[in-house]
Amino acid sequence: MSIRSYPDHSELRGWHSKLGLRSALSGFALAMFLTNATPTLSDETCQSPYMPKITGEEEFVYVWTLGVEGLGDGSDKLVTIDVRKDSATFGKVIDADSVGGRGEAHHGGFTDDRRHFWAAGLDDSKIYIFDVATNPANPRLIKTISNFVEETGGAAGPHGAYALPGRMLISTLSNKSRDGRAALVEYSNDGKYVATHWMPTDKENGGAKIEKIADGYGYDARVLPRKNVMLTSSFTGLDNYMRPLGDLIKDANAMKKFGQTMVLWDFHARKPKQVFHVPGTPLEVRWAWGPYNNYAFTSTALTSKLWLVYEDKDGQWKAKEVADIGDPSKTPLPVDLSLSADDKTLFVDTFMDGMARVFDVSDPHKPKQIYEKKIGSQVNMVSQSWDGKRLYYTSSLLANWDKGGKDNEQFLKAYTWDGQELKPRFEIDFTAEKLGRPHLMSFGSASLYTN
Amino acid sequence: MLVSVLRTGLTLALLAFSFAALGHDVGSHKPAINTPKDSRLEFAFPLPVPGSYELPPIMNAAGGVVLDEEGAKHELADLLRDRIIVLAFIYTRCGDVCPMASLQLSALQDLATETPEVAHGVRLLSMSFDPDYDTPVVIKEHARIWRSQKKGAPEWRFLTAPDRVALAPLLVAYNQSIGPKSDKGSSTSEFYHIFRAFLIDRKGKVRNIYSLDFLDPKLVVTDIKTLLLEEKGAGR
Repeated sequence: MSIRSYPDHSELRGWHSKLGLRSALSGFALAMFLTNATPTLSDETCQSPYMPKITGEEEFVYVWTLGVEGLGDGSDKLVTIDVRKDSATFGKVIDADSVGGRGEAHHGGFTDDRRHFWAAGLDDSKIYIFDVATNPANPRLIKTISNFVEETGGAAGPHGAYALPGRMLISTLSNKSRDGRAALVEYSNDGKYVATHWMPTDKENGGAKIEKIADGYGYDARVLPRKNVMLTSSFTGLDNYMRPLGDLIKDANAMKKFGQTMVLWDFHARKPKQVFHVPGTPLEVRWAWGPYNNYAFTSTALTSKLWLVYEDKDGQWKAKEVADIGDPSKTPLPVDLSLSADDKTLFVDTFMDGMARVFDVSDPHKPKQIYEKKIGSQVNMVSQSWDGKRLYYTSSLLANWDKGGKDNEQFLKAYTWDGQELKPRFEIDFTAEKLGRPHLMSFGSASLYTN
Repeated sequence: MLVSVLRTGLTLALLAFSFAALGHDVGSHKPAINTPKDSRLEFAFPLPVPGSYELPPIMNAAGGVVLDEEGAKHELADLLRDRIIVLAFIYTRCGDVCPMASLQLSALQDLATETPEVAHGVRLLSMSFDPDYDTPVVIKEHARIWRSQKKGAPEWRFLTAPDRVALAPLLVAYNQSIGPKSDKGSSTSEFYHIFRAFLIDRKGKVRNIYSLDFLDPKLVVTDIKTLLLEEKGAGR
């Protein structure tokens, strides 16, 4: 097991030249450190670069799971799966911590010391903080933030939980009016509110350069520290995402209320710089890892396109469509992305057809699909081990958007990837286990806290 | 001059050591690095204008009993008064991130001399979390290596704790998870830790938390200037 926390200090500034030989040499050393360290910044499923990562094999998979009425205790829960290959309980559920309610469990994330896992509810706007360090095989709920809407000044629908040094950055999807104006909210690691930054709109653009429109929607938020940029994407508000999908798509007016923008921020100042027009609802953001690879991928859910946001040779940041995902005319609905540590392979899930697609993105401007496999009747999240050899898939998108009847498969499926093919390792039926709808997966290991 | 040379030599030795350690983890997993074809090998980004952004309070800066380089006891809270503080948790036997951080702080100390208002308004504190080894004598020698000799440089104090009991609440207050590295066998000379430095205003509020990547001297000076401008205005 090899686990390290890497600083991704990157900004070698002109001050080195003013500090004489000692600093010049040290500056060179810093540059070398950067070049050597950056590849290891890649994390399982592209986690925050500010946290320690598991570069060997993960021991546990934590699955933030939506409760289903009448199934088990019906509550949202954090499910722990043992993936220690020599364990007697390998591939089995070894723990499930219910939170005592159903609030649309969706995304979450670890703090920068990876000792706590923050799990958010899209509907009830609660955030549950689990201690995963004391006993990584048995997470324990230690705190619940129940007044998120009030203390953030009206933000609602907490989504991602992204580690910053000593803080958590919560991207929201909505607000107390239940529409799509979203915010980025900061909390201290011990769960105290710090600040709210609203997404830019045409009327309140925060000084950003707007390509076509600033719609104010939010979804993902990810940072490229060495460039001091943060990229956010856009989805839709509470009224839409809590509505049954069948009803929603028949409502032309409601269907207009989806995000079509990505925002590039000055991360340190927390100020929006550019608003790109990315039609079709861009969701997950994945920055590349190479020290000179100044780009990120996203996929648009409604138009099934792969987009690249990149710093061009002229130093300007740009966004462009680079590939189709499946047949866009059939709306396969791409939902999650996972970029390999070497920036060469991109795993893309499409919910409607239950397909995993793999793209060769060695040339990020010209992705090529190299493989596809049907995972199930529906598939949503994908998590990749740091070495790219193990992939995990879960099935649920949103409680009211999942398929019905026999197509409502609820599973976690584990595979190995040898560069050419996904081969099954194990699977868990979350309905048979009376757990619920599995969504976000994050990896754990006891060695994180001693190594 | 001797100190300067020693500072350089020690830095390089420690950095070389850390590269060796890094090499183990980089392994054979080579990234698809796009090496730039021009000479712009910079990683710099434009700094915001001081005062053009906010640094919202994150938490209260905690106090506790500490020892200085002469072995004198202090209440840390007293050392946080009257100046804007940059507080870093380190240990002197650290083989990787701590010397990198000390290098950045030494550059910050030098850089601050260019702006007297900053130099007079800030105090650097390096706090050891290894009191068993980092006695006042040890941190005094450590300070001698890193501390700037430049005229007008801001104060940089090196601190340690009387013992682990006194240290414990400080570590909790600043969310510093420390433990012996398990892969080092019975030797506990190296610690698992995640480097963090804290920018603290004169009211004892933590206003920024830096990982090593953002402990850039110019960026920290920009943050210090932002706090100084805030003090001149309405304040918080």
